[in-house]
Amino acid sequence: MATQQAEPELQEIFAKHEKIYPREVSGRFSRLRVISLLGLLGIYYLTPLLQWGGRQAILFDLPARKFYIFGLTLWPQDFIYLAAILILAGLSLFFFTALLGRVWCGYACPQTVWTEAYLWMERKIEGNRSRRMKLDKAPFSARKIRIKILKHTAWVTFSLWTGFTFVAYFTPMGVLANKLLSLSLGPWETFWILFYSFATYGNAGFMREQVCLYMCPYARFQSAMFDSDTLIVAYHPERGEPRGSRRRGTEPKSAGLGDCIDCNVCVQACPTGIDIRDGLQYECIACSLCIDACDEIMDKMSYPRGLIKYTTENSAQGKTQHILRPRIMVYAAILLVLCGALFVHVSQRIALDLDVIRDRNTLYRETRDGLIENVYTLKILNMDSDSHRYILRAEGIDGLKLVTDQEEIMVEAGSIYQMVVRLQADELNLEQRSVPVSFHLQAADANHLQIVEEARFVGPGKT
Amino acid sequence: MRPPIPENIPRAQQIISVLWPSFLVAIVASGLFFSAFNPVDLIPFNLDIDISPLAAYSIGFFLFWILAIASSYGTLYFTISNCRFLNKQGR
Repeated sequence: MATQQAEPELQEIFAKHEKIYPREVSGRFSRLRVISLLGLLGIYYLTPLLQWGGRQAILFDLPARKFYIFGLTLWPQDFIYLAAILILAGLSLFFFTALLGRVWCGYACPQTVWTEAYLWMERKIEGNRSRRMKLDKAPFSARKIRIKILKHTAWVTFSLWTGFTFVAYFTPMGVLANKLLSLSLGPWETFWILFYSFATYGNAGFMREQVCLYMCPYARFQSAMFDSDTLIVAYHPERGEPRGSRRRGTEPKSAGLGDCIDCNVCVQACPTGIDIRDGLQYECIACSLCIDACDEIMDKMSYPRGLIKYTTENSAQGKTQHILRPRIMVYAAILLVLCGALFVHVSQRIALDLDVIRDRNTLYRETRDGLIENVYTLKILNMDSDSHRYILRAEGIDGLKLVTDQEEIMVEAGSIYQMVVRLQADELNLEQRSVPVSFHLQAADANHLQIVEEARFVGPGKT
Repeated sequence: MRPPIPENIPRAQQIISVLWPSFLVAIVASGLFFSAFNPVDLIPFNLDIDISPLAAYSIGFFLFWILAIASSYGTLYFTISNCRFLNKQGR
């Protein structure tokens, strides 16, 4: 019989997603996780309820173009603070990742937090791991439909509450709630509530670990932030291998076995569906559920805990471990400096700004008295939460006259006042064609509110 | 075994690889641009359109997203097209 060439086997690289049913785990790390999750969720849902001085404490008022953070009112002019906060966030991420590995992923990331909340609801309604799997494999029945509807109703309700709270960071919660109850929500508010609800429902209900695996950029470059002293979750093959099940009471070494009984509980507990015994993988979000799961089994077997545990590459290889190393110290130093600088800057921020725009239609004018005149448009930004009266004066040229229609300028809290002023100077006092002058604005009722703004006074050049 | 080159990527993953990065970029672009310019002021004066500030921000964001989608889609298209070309050449 002639031998046939076998057809090259067509192996699909991209397989359809199989749902992961994480096994229920209890232990010290999972308790720590629950505290973190509840804390963060609590912060998210309760913050819009906080009030400060008659308004919501944290409010990103887009229409008014002001961000309120407790007593601080940030204007678009304060954009530098947003940039600084973003840089700080990035640096802290590098710092904590270099030190503690993917502790963000496992304990704090919103995707993890909401997925765990939805998983909790799923467990409460559909049961534990084996029951959930059985339910999904079962054909549709009245009972299955009932359970599924109950679960999705819980999920949708939670999603809507999440979406509503998200929009409440931009429109005050009280106003939003009133509008909702009287069915008078604006079209765009409705859109964003539904959009964010749908995103939560989709990400936490269905996408789950796929967000970590495929969508999250942090997962991809985390290895660039690790070094040999970064905390990771690892299985100890020198202790566990060779793995295999054994009869009760058997001394593992005498049977030529390691401590790993190949129960696969670590795989079942993993929310991203990996086997940590294969080594550190990028899919591992360091949630430490496998640690708790294995510790539980080790306790039952009366073996010591820690077959899977938090460790570092150096520690696992028996080398000395360094916590304080150059990378950590440099990150910490930069963080402290930036934090300090930001704090100082914000605390010394003067809630007053002055914009001076010289009238460019003419270089200069000559008044009837023979003085050279320049016209300026001034914008006074009162960024404080109180109204103030301001006094304006100008300096820079001998005998400079400030012509304005108001002695004291009253500006309401949080508003901008625009006015036109004129500066007049004698031609003889002008050293050159363009002379630097300065406008000094001082609040009459607050000593610390003062600002100086430079400008130019143009006259005829020396002929 | 089919090699995992871009032209073999499933349609769903192609769509996400265009929509998701462009979404992130649109958020950054909106944040930066609307910190400097109030979107309500950007509405052409003579068109007599009266929309709420939230609507202006929302439409602005979606315009940025559409722009970024065009860019990401262009990248994806040329990647796939180049792969096909290189494959035909046997490289």
